[in-house]
Order: sequence, then structure tokens, then C-alpha cells
Amino acid sequence: MSFWQALFMGLLQGATELFPVSSLGHAVLVPSLLHWSFKQSDPSFVPFLVLLHLGTAGALLVLYRQQWVEIVAGFFRAAIRGRISTPTERLSMLLLVGTLPAGVLGVFLEGPIKRLFASPYEAAAFLIVNGVLMLGFELLRRRDERRAAVDKAPRLEQEERFADAAQITFVAAALVGACQALAFLPGISRSGVTIGGGLLAGLRHQEAARFSFLLATPVILGAGLIEVPQLFSGGVPVVEYVLSAVLAGLAAYLSARFLLRYFRSGRLDPYGWYCIAAGAVSLALLHFAL
Amino acid sequence: MKSSSLAIGLGVLGIVFIVIAVLYALGVLQFFASTDTGPHYKHALLFGVLAIASFVAANFARPKTA
Repeated sequence: MSFWQALFMGLLQGATELFPVSSLGHAVLVPSLLHWSFKQSDPSFVPFLVLLHLGTAGALLVLYRQQWVEIVAGFFRAAIRGRISTPTERLSMLLLVGTLPAGVLGVFLEGPIKRLFASPYEAAAFLIVNGVLMLGFELLRRRDERRAAVDKAPRLEQEERFADAAQITFVAAALVGACQALAFLPGISRSGVTIGGGLLAGLRHQEAARFSFLLATPVILGAGLIEVPQLFSGGVPVVEYVLSAVLAGLAAYLSARFLLRYFRSGRLDPYGWYCIAAGAVSLALLHFAL
Repeated sequence: MKSSSLAIGLGVLGIVFIVIAVLYALGVLQFFASTDTGPHYKHALLFGVLAIASFVAANFARPKTA
């Protein structure tokens, strides 16, 4: 992988990790469509991915630094007291409950699933599935808006009818967390399925995005930190990789800021249509070897 | 749902998870691991987090005196 390819992959990963469009799908598809020859299944590629993920997790930590301080303090307060007293303490416990299924499924299923579905064809097909899922989540949300009789109201008013992240049930948090396992399939977006899961649990779009980003941070950070020793194996171009990670972090930070603003009134539909179009075009390009 | 037996059960489960975490970290346990040798820190971290969650749940389940 050349220097510029590494920077490009960093930018691509950072930008697509938080958008509901699947970073893994894009990381499999784009190099293949550009006829780049590096093999992502190669063991030497792992340290690169580790640093990109640490860059993304770092961006999320910076974005939510104040909230994380409160969440961690709230977690210890509630854990020691054995009782939840504030919304922040409840959010900290919801994040723990949501992280556990993702961690269990990640440790035991991620490797086998990624090995089974690693080809660009599968990534393109799952990207279409991801698009259909996003449209499906919005279809169900519109049904909920009709039931709440707010379907004719302005978007901001519609959103006000739905809940904050700290108000969802623990079962819903566990299910949203478990949804992250779907993202081991290249083309299925982690943030997309968790935001969608949050919408099904009755969260506002912006709160669903916030819960998704908070939920992603410990998983991405934990998985990244544990692989750090691999960076010190011989032949790893650390400077090149670190620069890519910084770029990934910067792109992730700007993506998160944009998405949190967008989801004040925006929906998942544009990303759904994008995924369907990108998946279909990729399948055609791959099929005709263009 | 508060009960002493549930709290004790969750506490014991936490201890079991700690033992499993240590065994994975030392490379003694190799179940469901990608390689057949060496330590598996990802598995160890997971069981460590599960242990913490069990202890927290045990503290929540423990009947509290007013």
C-alpha cells in the first residue's frame, strides 16, 4: 500500500465509520473498484486497521469528552450504590448493557463471519441490504408518527414526541447493542443498524445517533487497544499509518458533528438510497470488470 | 427484583468470569479462539467486562437496608 493509498483509506474509513453506509463495505469495495492490489486479509494490514479504529474512537472521545467524564463517574456512583438515581447513571448502565452483547458476539463471531463474506460482490450485495434496512427503519418510524398523530406536524415537532437515549429500556439497549453484530457483514453499517434500532426503541433521530456513537466508542477503542502490540512488529510503517489514523480521526469527528446536526430533523432515507445505488453500481462494475 | 440468592448467584458468576478471563490471558483456555496457542487478550477482556457487569448486577440485586 502506497503512502497516498494509506491516507485515502484513512479518510475513507473515518468518513464512513459513523455515516450509516458501512465503512467495512466501502473498505472492501473501493480498493477493489480502483484495482488496488493490496490484500486486506493480509496480517500486515491488521496494524493499519487498528490505528484507523483508534483514530475514530479518539475522535468520538474528543467529541463526547464531557459526557464520557459524567458517564464514567455516573457508572461508578450507581455501581457502588446499587441504585440508579440520575439520567446519566441510567445512560451509563444502558451503555454497559448495550456493549455486552456486541462484545460477546464480536469476540466469538467477528472473525468467522468476516472470513466467510470478504469478497467485493458480497460487500456490494450487503450494501444494498443495508440500504433496504435504512428505508425499512424509516418506514416503521413513519408508522409510529402516524400512530402518535404527528405525521402532519413539522419535523422538529415530530422529533420532540420521541425519547432521549437515557429513557429507553434495558432490553431495548441490549437489542440495539446486539444489532452491532450485523455490521460484521461487510456492507452492513454499525451506526446504521444501531441508529435504526434506536428509532425502533422510540428514540429521536439525534438521540439514536448519540446513543449509537456512545455505544460504538468502548467497542472500537477496546478492540483497537488490544491489538496495539501488533504495531510494534517489524516492518510496520508507523509514521505513515499514524498519519492515516489522524486523518481518519479528523474525518470521523467532522462526520459525527455533521450527523448530529443533520439528525435534528433529517432521516435515514438519503443514506438508504445511496447504499442501494452504490451497491447496485458496484455490482455492475464488478460484474463487467470495469 | 431484589433477592440475596440472586445477588450471591451473580457474585459467583462474576468470580467464574474472572477465572475464565485469567485462563484466556495466560493462554490456558483455547475455546472459540482464532488460534490454538498463546494468550487471547480479546477474550480475556470480554470476560473481565462480563465479571464487572455481574458484580454490578449483584450489587443492584442485593436487598438494601433503609
